[in-house]
Amino acid sequence: MIQIEEAQQEPGVTLDRVHFGFGTTDLLSGVSWELNQGESAAILGASGSGKSTFLLVAAGLIAPVQGSVLLGAHPLRRLSPSERVRRGLRLGFVFQDGGLFANMDAFSNVSLPLYYHQDVLGLSDEAIKERTREVLDLAQVEERHFQTLPAHLSFGDRKRLGIARALSIRPNYFFFDDPDIGLDHRTANVAHQILSQLKADPTVTLLIATNRTKLIVRLNIPGFELHDGRLTTAQTQSHAPSGWSLPPRLIIP
Amino acid sequence: MSRATPTSSLLEHLGARTLHVVDVAQRLVGTLVFALRSSSAPGLGAKAVVRELSVRQIFFTSAQALPMIGAVATFVGATLTAQTELLGGPFQRETAGKVLVAVVLRELAPLVTAIIVAGRSGTAIATELGMMRVNSEILGLASLGIDPPRFLIWPRLVATTISVPILTIYFSAVAIVSGNVTAFLIDSHGLEEWRVGAMLALSPLDLPLMGIKTLGLGLLVGWLCCYYGLDVGSSPTEVPQKASRAVVQSLFACIAYNALITVLYYWLFGATVT
Repeated sequence: MIQIEEAQQEPGVTLDRVHFGFGTTDLLSGVSWELNQGESAAILGASGSGKSTFLLVAAGLIAPVQGSVLLGAHPLRRLSPSERVRRGLRLGFVFQDGGLFANMDAFSNVSLPLYYHQDVLGLSDEAIKERTREVLDLAQVEERHFQTLPAHLSFGDRKRLGIARALSIRPNYFFFDDPDIGLDHRTANVAHQILSQLKADPTVTLLIATNRTKLIVRLNIPGFELHDGRLTTAQTQSHAPSGWSLPPRLIIP
Repeated sequence: MSRATPTSSLLEHLGARTLHVVDVAQRLVGTLVFALRSSSAPGLGAKAVVRELSVRQIFFTSAQALPMIGAVATFVGATLTAQTELLGGPFQRETAGKVLVAVVLRELAPLVTAIIVAGRSGTAIATELGMMRVNSEILGLASLGIDPPRFLIWPRLVATTISVPILTIYFSAVAIVSGNVTAFLIDSHGLEEWRVGAMLALSPLDLPLMGIKTLGLGLLVGWLCCYYGLDVGSSPTEVPQKASRAVVQSLFACIAYNALITVLYYWLFGATVT
């Protein structure tokens, strides 16, 4: 089993002998892996190697064929999504292709989880509206797009809306699938700044899937390579290049 | 090298088919069980969101279907009265009234309403859920801690189960009024006989019969259409295929269920029409 840090720390994401595949293709072959709470890591690999699947399995969004997945100390197999939130496991997941609710406008996409968990999060209607605006502003979704359906937004706007939605319930587990793919400069900048702040937050466990080592060097997080269903420690530069820093303009509220 | 004999390949085929049927039955039952179980899960915020969604679904399934149901019921009531009039002539007015009430109230109204709901809302349910699967929206819901059975299946089940009885009452009322008007237009002197016949055909057992039929039909339509919608994999081409299968299977299930309840009703209570 690959472990990142000392074993005394609280477990964040734990995969124990996980198998998963589509048809005859085995994407995860008995993967055992652990990421401590409050730490960050990236899953690297070529296209089609199963990085996105790894992220979905690690977040408990798809169940493995064999093996178990734990978030914190909670086995995910028996927890419904809302039960997870009631137990303090708040997920933020940015999908590669958006995963936005097509029949809801941008504002409702972000506010829906807040209304759904209104009692658990202890939010008033006013606080929900405020929080929604806060994360939409943070992700630089312009106000003129608040009442727009995702289908009428550009790719960059949709990606930023996806980031805003994932941040809405103040996640303590954040999963980001391919933060760099096909993004314009502005969206990439937003994504990097948010990732950098989440990485610095000790309450957030961060897991990224990417095929760009440059990003994980910039974020200075360990990388693990997924190849033929197995996970190995990736050989990446361990520190950010000198002189490189993220502009501290955006602060996650 | 061993070679498969015809008997072993037949057994293999039968085994595979049986496993497939068991798998489908399990997932079908799972769709209903998860929706029912999730509906009683805690969470005041979730309850409020789901209540609002259910109201919206009921509005779409029932209120927006009123014009179509009204038109179909008018034609059914009129044609049925005209046909019985043609068959029985002026001396069978009472029978014509009885036939209209028995056929419309007990058989046609619940079944035709369920067929319209399956064709109209069932397609919409299966297509919408299928598209949500393809676009990873269901994964999006789960990632945000929103239970897909509670958020997606439960409001739709509630909507179809409530809407079919409401629309059946509306259908029956419109069909009877239409039959009444047709009987009057054919021969205004025989209208009283027609009305007497219609009243005689009514039985106190019609109410529970209609309740069992319509609630069951509504549940079947919602259940099967949700199941087929969520059964879509990751390809958009599966969406129309599953939507069409959802409607065809719903129609078949509705006709079979309607027949089963009718047979049970007459077996248990005999002919209540005097």
